Amino acid sequence: VSRTDAVTRILFEAFSATEVRLFYLLGYAAIAVFCYGVYVQIRKYRRGAQLRLEDGLGRRLGAMVSSVLSHRTIDRRDRAAGGAHRLIFYGFMLLFAGTATITLEYDILEPLFGIRFWHGEFYLVFSLILDIAGVALIAGLVFMMYRRGWMHLPKLDYARPDRVPGDPDFNRPQYRREDWAFLWLLLIIACTGYVLEAARLVWLQERADVWDTRWWSPVGALLAEGMRAGGLGEQGGGLLRHGLWWFHGLIALLLIALIPFTKVKHIFTAAASLMVRDPLAAQRLPRVPDSQEQVGAAKITDFNWKQLLNLDACTKCGRCHEACPARAVGAPLSPRDVILSLREFARSTLESGVVPDAAELDIHGKKPGQVAMETLWSCRTCMACVEICPVAVEHVPIIVQMRRKLVEDGAMDPLLTKTLQTIHKTGNSFGESKRKRGVWSKTLPFPVKDARKEPVDVLWFVGDYASFDPRNQKVSQIFASLLHEAGVDFGILYDGESNAGNDVRRVGEEGLYEVLAAANVSALKSASFKSVVTTDPHSFNTIRNEYPDFGGRFEIEHYTTLAKRLFAEGRLQVTRPLKYRVTFHDPCHLGRFNKGYDAPRELLALLGCELVEMGRCKSNSFCCGAGGGRIWVPDPVGAEKPAQNRMKEAAAIPGLEVYVVSCPKDLTMFEDALKTTGNEGKFVVKELIELIREAVPARRTEEVTA
Amino acid sequence: MKILVAVKQVAALDEDFEIRDDGRDVDPDFFIRDLNEWDDFSLEEAVRIKEAAAEPVEVAVVSVGTDEVDESLRKCLAKGADRAIRIWDAAIEGSDSIAIARVLAAAAKREAPDMLFAGVQSSDQSFASTGIAAAALLGWPHAAVVSNLTYTPGAKSAVFRRELEGGLLQEVEIQCPAVLTIQLGINTPRYASLRSIKQAASKPIEVLSLADVALSEADVGETGSSSRVRRMYVPDKGRAQLIEGDAAQQAARLAEIIREFKGARA
Repeated sequence: VSRTDAVTRILFEAFSATEVRLFYLLGYAAIAVFCYGVYVQIRKYRRGAQLRLEDGLGRRLGAMVSSVLSHRTIDRRDRAAGGAHRLIFYGFMLLFAGTATITLEYDILEPLFGIRFWHGEFYLVFSLILDIAGVALIAGLVFMMYRRGWMHLPKLDYARPDRVPGDPDFNRPQYRREDWAFLWLLLIIACTGYVLEAARLVWLQERADVWDTRWWSPVGALLAEGMRAGGLGEQGGGLLRHGLWWFHGLIALLLIALIPFTKVKHIFTAAASLMVRDPLAAQRLPRVPDSQEQVGAAKITDFNWKQLLNLDACTKCGRCHEACPARAVGAPLSPRDVILSLREFARSTLESGVVPDAAELDIHGKKPGQVAMETLWSCRTCMACVEICPVAVEHVPIIVQMRRKLVEDGAMDPLLTKTLQTIHKTGNSFGESKRKRGVWSKTLPFPVKDARKEPVDVLWFVGDYASFDPRNQKVSQIFASLLHEAGVDFGILYDGESNAGNDVRRVGEEGLYEVLAAANVSALKSASFKSVVTTDPHSFNTIRNEYPDFGGRFEIEHYTTLAKRLFAEGRLQVTRPLKYRVTFHDPCHLGRFNKGYDAPRELLALLGCELVEMGRCKSNSFCCGAGGGRIWVPDPVGAEKPAQNRMKEAAAIPGLEVYVVSCPKDLTMFEDALKTTGNEGKFVVKELIELIREAVPARRTEEVTA
Repeated sequence: MKILVAVKQVAALDEDFEIRDDGRDVDPDFFIRDLNEWDDFSLEEAVRIKEAAAEPVEVAVVSVGTDEVDESLRKCLAKGADRAIRIWDAAIEGSDSIAIARVLAAAAKREAPDMLFAGVQSSDQSFASTGIAAAALLGWPHAAVVSNLTYTPGAKSAVFRRELEGGLLQEVEIQCPAVLTIQLGINTPRYASLRSIKQAASKPIEVLSLADVALSEADVGETGSSSRVRRMYVPDKGRAQLIEGDAAQQAARLAEIIREFKGARA
């Protein structure tokens, strides 16, 4: 046995047998409490509705591990917090792995098989790594303390926009206390670990195998040198080590026991939530089975186990709070608080031995834990919250399922009621006659094919706004001309088309959505075409992601990708490059929902425009406020509208000439906001289609047909 | 305890429409059919009374029409009516509002409700007479244009308010059973979700013939009516025109028009 081989971790040395037994007893007790807590949590989730996940465990596991290890989702929009969390995570994981391997050897491998590996060089290298891990952990924790205590980040302010000061759950100081307790607990565990290490070195300074290898634990060794210089002797070191050993061990066991009952559980719930993540959570809302009598979420148990798990995964990081357009304009909604409210509700009702009566499970209302209808109706289903959540909480389906219940009860704005009735009656939100859907095409110098009567290559699903809104009709006419000039064989469904239903579904009127989807799927199926194009991102989303659930699988693209291809093929040519300084607004349903970030930007470059991005762009694009059916409900008078908030952001771009949109609803919302924010005359709002027309001057019809 | 609500499926006109070949109505192809707006309010009032009552109350809706009306009746069932009755016979075709009232009154006799509600008027024909005529035929007290109602099912009387000209309100006590025609705005009608309409498909719609309500063909249709529609038409547009150009041109055109008119008279 060489000298270094004798080197090993000093464990229970100088402990009496009683002490060792006591420690094991406490250890088992902590594990028992932990297991009981896990049982209570799992029982809580199982009290939710059933859900069968679609695909492979392996793929889900891989995606989760990659997200967790890379910290990709935690880094987003907050690199500093991501970095600090990474230090804590890896520091903690290594230290945990160190402790776990000691247990593995001491309690399992050695007594059962006589295998020992925790000595010699392996031990020394590990010891060095753990010392570094401890530094990382402490550095991360100290930064997080600085961040919570001194950075005053609005997203860490727990005051709720849907409550007023004085309400019992207004700013929830218990959350702050828990945050700090968690940070301090970890910090104390880490620091006492070092002092314990140093005390052990001082105590055993006469033993060569310990003392000569001390610099493999550099932090401990430095501290030990300090202690010696301060006059601590072997005996004092021994006493300190003995006392600290117990202190360190007990709070570590306390932490383990507390995991399932405190925010510490996010280490499991967040990972599990990432594993059950639905990449189309907001894009494709859940169907209601025909056999199910109740349509929406009325009780906490109407949420499925995955949603209840989502509630527990939330780490209150506030990224959704920050991203929410409703919250940004002072509406009584924060996606974070919807989740936290429901979490408190689930905790108080579903963690006890017996589930309370149905009456006590009602999640709608104004009591603590309940969600008010004003809150639910403030949501624009823009997906900003779902998209940024680092732990895959899916807020939008939760909110829409709660809205379904409100719709059943008729608890909504009378104007919204009117609109839904109108859509039911006429098939469009404008209350226009079905026959007028294709009227915008009548003034074109060429006929637009009726895709119900003759086959076409490209079927253009026009959508309500592009069909009926006078301003958007002009854009539709331009797009039709562009397609015609590019020689695209296209047609529309005329009065065979109905409102696509995207927003009706997001309002929560699932029954009406089913009717609309069925009507459109059948109209599309009876037409003959190769692919579908639309200028409306809302229609695009529901046809692409939701119609397959209703038997309609169609190849569909947004016009921006089709236009890009027409340029690439030379069927459209820029003959008058535009020199505008522009900014581009990503429509929620094109960008965040369907990742169509690039095509519009490439088109702008092709047209010769100078693109200046707004701070909030691409995945962080700021909703115009029209989504989720909110275009049918006027915003409160006096309060800022999301579109106005956005206009101010655009107006800050020096020399901006054109605010480019590629969505009919955006055109309506932003042209209005341009006026109401006093920016009229400074820059203009234009559809990308209109810019294409400017850069590609119209050819006469004879030239086209020739 | 029972409240009977008389409802009508009305026809709204599509943007462009054509008159039927006989010239007495619009071609039904151009109709968009829906429940009469007033009836939405009277049904809601009945359902609210039912929901507030301590005793069980039945709300039944009754309508006169072909099976096309079932769609509207299902909407009523979705909104909280317990039962729907539809009365039809080919002989009813061509009935005026009084003949329809006769059918409704016969249904009310059969149902014997504590109260009969109707809308003030229908949005397509606007006679505002059906409900009141039914009251006359039943010999029940009645009131029109009720804008606020306090009524407990089973009570001997009900108290309601009516809005009069000049901002006046009239508070009236009426003996029950009575016929009340309900004004818009008395409440906020609830929304019938498509799901609830679908689910209401399982609630029964009772289809009755004339014989079921003890009427004969002579009581309805043109023979049972005291008025008939002679013609329905779109009046000629007004003939105002804007004269453009400078003063001299305008004067010249004006003179020309006057000469044309004089010529026409001559």
